[in-house]
Amino acid sequence: MLVGIPLDNQQRRSVQPKDCADEMAHHLKQVAENRCKAAFSQVFGYFAPRLRSFALKQTGNEALAMELVQDTLSNVWQKAHLFNAEKGSPSTWIFTIARNIRYDMLRKQQNRKEDICADDLWPVLCEQTADPNEVEMDEQITLDQLGTLFEALPEKQKVVIEAIYIEGKSQQEVADQLDIPLGTVKSRTRLALQRLKEMLNDHD
Amino acid sequence: MINLHPTAQQLMTYVDGSMEPMMALVVACHVDMCAHCRAKVEQLQLTISDNAFALESQDNVSFGDMMASIMALPAAEPRVRPASPPTLELDGRSFVLPRPLRRFVDKTGNWSHLLGNLWQAPVDIGGGGKAQFIFMEKGGRVPEHTHRGNETTLVIDGEFSDGLGHYDSGDFIHMDGHHVHTPRSDADEGCLVFSVVDKPLHFTSGIARLLNPFSQLFF
Repeated sequence: MLVGIPLDNQQRRSVQPKDCADEMAHHLKQVAENRCKAAFSQVFGYFAPRLRSFALKQTGNEALAMELVQDTLSNVWQKAHLFNAEKGSPSTWIFTIARNIRYDMLRKQQNRKEDICADDLWPVLCEQTADPNEVEMDEQITLDQLGTLFEALPEKQKVVIEAIYIEGKSQQEVADQLDIPLGTVKSRTRLALQRLKEMLNDHD
Repeated sequence: MINLHPTAQQLMTYVDGSMEPMMALVVACHVDMCAHCRAKVEQLQLTISDNAFALESQDNVSFGDMMASIMALPAAEPRVRPASPPTLELDGRSFVLPRPLRRFVDKTGNWSHLLGNLWQAPVDIGGGGKAQFIFMEKGGRVPEHTHRGNETTLVIDGEFSDGLGHYDSGDFIHMDGHHVHTPRSDADEGCLVFSVVDKPLHFTSGIARLLNPFSQLFF
């Protein structure tokens, strides 16, 4: 039974990647050409613990680290035929696979920030949740249209909005200039923004 | 001709896996377009990968049945190269994208006509910010703005200027709150860029400032 081959961990521990590059390249070739399980178990035995160390340093999370190890070595098993010994060593190839998967994982994770706690507990379940990034981008509007919406504001609100957002004045400066209380400037600003927002939402 | 590249430090953090992941995608695209940076990255990967894997953790970890479950997977089908790579379409034009972006063609939303001569399409690449293609027709411009966070842009096709510099296909541009600029293309063919921002822009002049209270809706 090839799957159960012991991994010679004690011997392996001190061998540097560049010192076993030729040997690992040979194993990868065996995997690519013959789906050789014995060869893959050598690759797995050498790289899985090293990938785990790298992944743990990057993620700080045991479950995510193991996910990264599994995804990376699944790619190695399934795509060994893409390894080209003339272009680089096995460790470089496997490292770049792991790094690229890590970047993908990070982008997915950040996409569901609110799920991070749940993610720590149930990474597999979270992986199956729907992609929340249905961007609300259909609320687009041109600057011309914005000008039109702005013109539609009541005169008193328009003056305040223009001074604050176009001329860049502070609310206090606007209050002094118009000789009205600061509270009035604030409430007109709030009402105008509220109104603009409603108009933006109705815009379609 | 490419004039603007990621810094040595940026290439290093990209290679070692510690870069912010949205920016890492832009760097990957630049590296795909730039032979100069590709050579540097390949060199860095040699050393960094050997260092990253030099030490095995001392604790004896059990990988359980991971190896067996991996070997139960079928081999990937040999990659059949499509006759032509997927392209990004706009208004009858097709753009060939850098390789790392091609898998996101399907995740690109519809184009919106933003200003007279400006088009925008959101791209769902994940990550905490927003990614988008922006196409400036000849004379198209983005209102003057600065950045609440980081804006990383790659010129994919064409040329544009922004008052700070002139940019050509392949150029890598990183801006933050220290930069105020007004991107504008005067090229006959216009200009397609890919841009990621981690926080909304801050518009700095004219009526565009009215966008600021709602800037999470834009860019």
